[in-house]
Amino acid sequence: MMATSSRKPLEILFKQVSAAPLTVYRICFGLLMLFSTIRFISKGWVQSLYIEPSFHFSYQGFEWIPYPSEAGIWFLFISLIVCSVLITVGLFYRYATIIFFLSFTYIELLDKANYLNHYYFVSLISFLLIFISANRQFSLDQKLGFTSPSEKCSLWEIRILQFQIAVVYIFAGIAKLESDWLLNAQPLKYWLHTANHWPIFGDFLKQDWVAYTFSWFGCIYDLLIVFILIIPKTRKFGYFFVIVFHFTTWMLFPIGVFPWVMMVGTLIFFSPSFHEKILSFFRASKTKLQTTPQKTTSKQVVAFLTVFCLIQLITPFRYLLNEGDVFYTEQGYRFSWRVMLMEKTAEATFYAVDESMDVKFEIENSDFLTPNQEKMMGTQPDMILDYANFLGDEFADTSFTKFGEILKFKNPEIRAEVFVTINARPHQLYVKDDINLLAVENGYADRSWLEPYIK
Amino acid sequence: MKLKTRIIFLSLVLIASFGCDKEPDKPDFDRGAMLYNLASNVIKPSIAESATSISDLESTTQTFVANPSQSALDDLQDDFIFAYKKFQHIKPFNFGAFEDYGIVGALNTYPTDTSKIKSNITSGSYNLGSVENVQAIGFPALDYLLFHTNDVQIITEFTTDPESANRKMLLTETVTKMKSEIELAQTQWDSDDTDFIAADGNDVGGSTSILFNAFVMDIELLKNAKIGIPAGNQTGGTTLPNYVEAYHSQSSIELAKESISGLKNIFVGGTGIGFEEYIRDVEGEIESSLADQIISKFDQCTSSLNSVGTPLSDKVDSDNAAVQSAFNEVKSLVTLIKTDMSSALGLLITFQDNDGD
Repeated sequence: MMATSSRKPLEILFKQVSAAPLTVYRICFGLLMLFSTIRFISKGWVQSLYIEPSFHFSYQGFEWIPYPSEAGIWFLFISLIVCSVLITVGLFYRYATIIFFLSFTYIELLDKANYLNHYYFVSLISFLLIFISANRQFSLDQKLGFTSPSEKCSLWEIRILQFQIAVVYIFAGIAKLESDWLLNAQPLKYWLHTANHWPIFGDFLKQDWVAYTFSWFGCIYDLLIVFILIIPKTRKFGYFFVIVFHFTTWMLFPIGVFPWVMMVGTLIFFSPSFHEKILSFFRASKTKLQTTPQKTTSKQVVAFLTVFCLIQLITPFRYLLNEGDVFYTEQGYRFSWRVMLMEKTAEATFYAVDESMDVKFEIENSDFLTPNQEKMMGTQPDMILDYANFLGDEFADTSFTKFGEILKFKNPEIRAEVFVTINARPHQLYVKDDINLLAVENGYADRSWLEPYIK
Repeated sequence: MKLKTRIIFLSLVLIASFGCDKEPDKPDFDRGAMLYNLASNVIKPSIAESATSISDLESTTQTFVANPSQSALDDLQDDFIFAYKKFQHIKPFNFGAFEDYGIVGALNTYPTDTSKIKSNITSGSYNLGSVENVQAIGFPALDYLLFHTNDVQIITEFTTDPESANRKMLLTETVTKMKSEIELAQTQWDSDDTDFIAADGNDVGGSTSILFNAFVMDIELLKNAKIGIPAGNQTGGTTLPNYVEAYHSQSSIELAKESISGLKNIFVGGTGIGFEEYIRDVEGEIESSLADQIISKFDQCTSSLNSVGTPLSDKVDSDNAAVQSAFNEVKSLVTLIKTDMSSALGLLITFQDNDGD
């Protein structure tokens, strides 16, 4: 990608370079995943997000995935812990990364109400780690002779991780190039206002100009930080901003471990000598490893990298295929690095209606959904339809009493009255009135069943 | 490089100081002060009033049980309605001490299980704290015992009726249980209020979020339990008149209005700082304030309930349209609070990591 010599770019990808950045990255990633899995469990989220819900919002195309039993879910989380440890110490690295990737992604696929960009990021990184030999030094695999030792790696192994981080930042920056963010400083204006009150900063954060500064700085930071980190002269200066930026978001918002993932992840941009210094700090002896020669260019690797990168570059733009504002329709919103971009809140009331029988039942969402699911469902149209379809099945064979007679639905329809508010606008009707949601196809088409966005 | 960094820092400081000078200071709002005001001037006084009203209810109960005269019954019924109204003001505080002692469930789970009450009277042996009695205790039980038929008959039930002794015992024990529960919660609040005020963050354990979520829950109860369910909205139009609150005393509408005034009082913070001031502070100077919209919506809810008339248990059938319009007013109050207000104040309804919104 970043060709610096006159050799063919493909060969450059396989140039042998110091593996120190990879080694540091592997250890940090393992530790962070260990920490974040333990944190997730200790917050009680396994229970509230995966065990309590009785209905699950499947991803389109993954409805076939079986939902594990309670024991199965715990087993998955324990396997994440075990794999994180194995990745950190570099033991059975290849199996550990494969099992980590599969377990983590499986958990994520169980319910899209739990989607977070940084979980998607973790899935992608753990997928990449499967193909990256980050266990050839400073690892038990190497100590025990399970892998051929090496202090070198192919350049692509580092570049692909840098690429992945670049994708996150740059797309997050592009997503901020819109009027609410830049011209109204929303949602930051409200978020900063209600953020934790710090002794001195409390009043400071309330000033409008601070919200504008944060918005513009955030946008410029996201767009440029990767380039600032790539250039050796500006790297330390850039990393200073990485720390300031992510530390600030961590202090102000309930954003979890994401800031730490990025603060640690961006270290991959530092020079091999920087990483070697870190490693030598921990290294007991200075003996050089017996390096076995690496295989050179591989067409499979090139093909793999090309496909992976193309998918990464295209996915965030898929929203362009549809009419309407992506913040409003959310058609193509996920997997696009739209991080902390809008304040969207909804209230959704569903009705089971049978006009032929002149009956209308208001549905109590809490009968079927957890508070978190209900909150997520209201703002995301595909989940509104998923839930409507579930209710349709639920009511298809429900009997009820009318004028003393026990009846069953003949032509049940599911309708919804949904109000949504985006970035401090007054709430507006979201789903068109009197539409039978069972008749709406939940696909990739334009979401014309939504009311137009009053911006 | 170093020089450049210095220049950038200096200019940031300059911008900051300029900004501070130019920007007119917004009114000094602080969540700690709001929580202090709510705890000291809304929550604790309401609980104290409710506890006193239930304590008064206990003494009129004793007077009535000692001598079930018409005037003693009148006093008891009045005290009952008064205490039931006071209770509406504390129901929204269903967290902390209230949750620990299950106050709201123990004092006001309806519809009343009248056959359970009857069988408790007949048998004379029961455990009012057990799950099976949850619909046979608290205000709904008293509502039945004191109002289920005309006064003369009620007095007979407590005097010459063969089960009168048991009935007196049940009445007394029901009231005593209520009194001891509300007093437990009151005592706990006396020591809890410091923590409540101290948790002034906007985070998971922050009192603002906890109070707001309980506040929302109570408005939803107002909408569904008090109005929607009896009006048949969840049963395909089949009305359920005996599901109204205070079915026998026919005071459902009065209680609903009381509930709205209690909720509004929380919103405006009594005479001090409440959610209202918080919203105004976040919004800054704008044309149509959300705080004003919510206040006027509270008032519209009250006036729409006024036009329903009484008793609600009849009106759900005789004038369902009026009931529906009251329901819709409360529903739009819920919408304002669950969307606009929740989003303006960043009061997440649930607490997960969040990077999506």
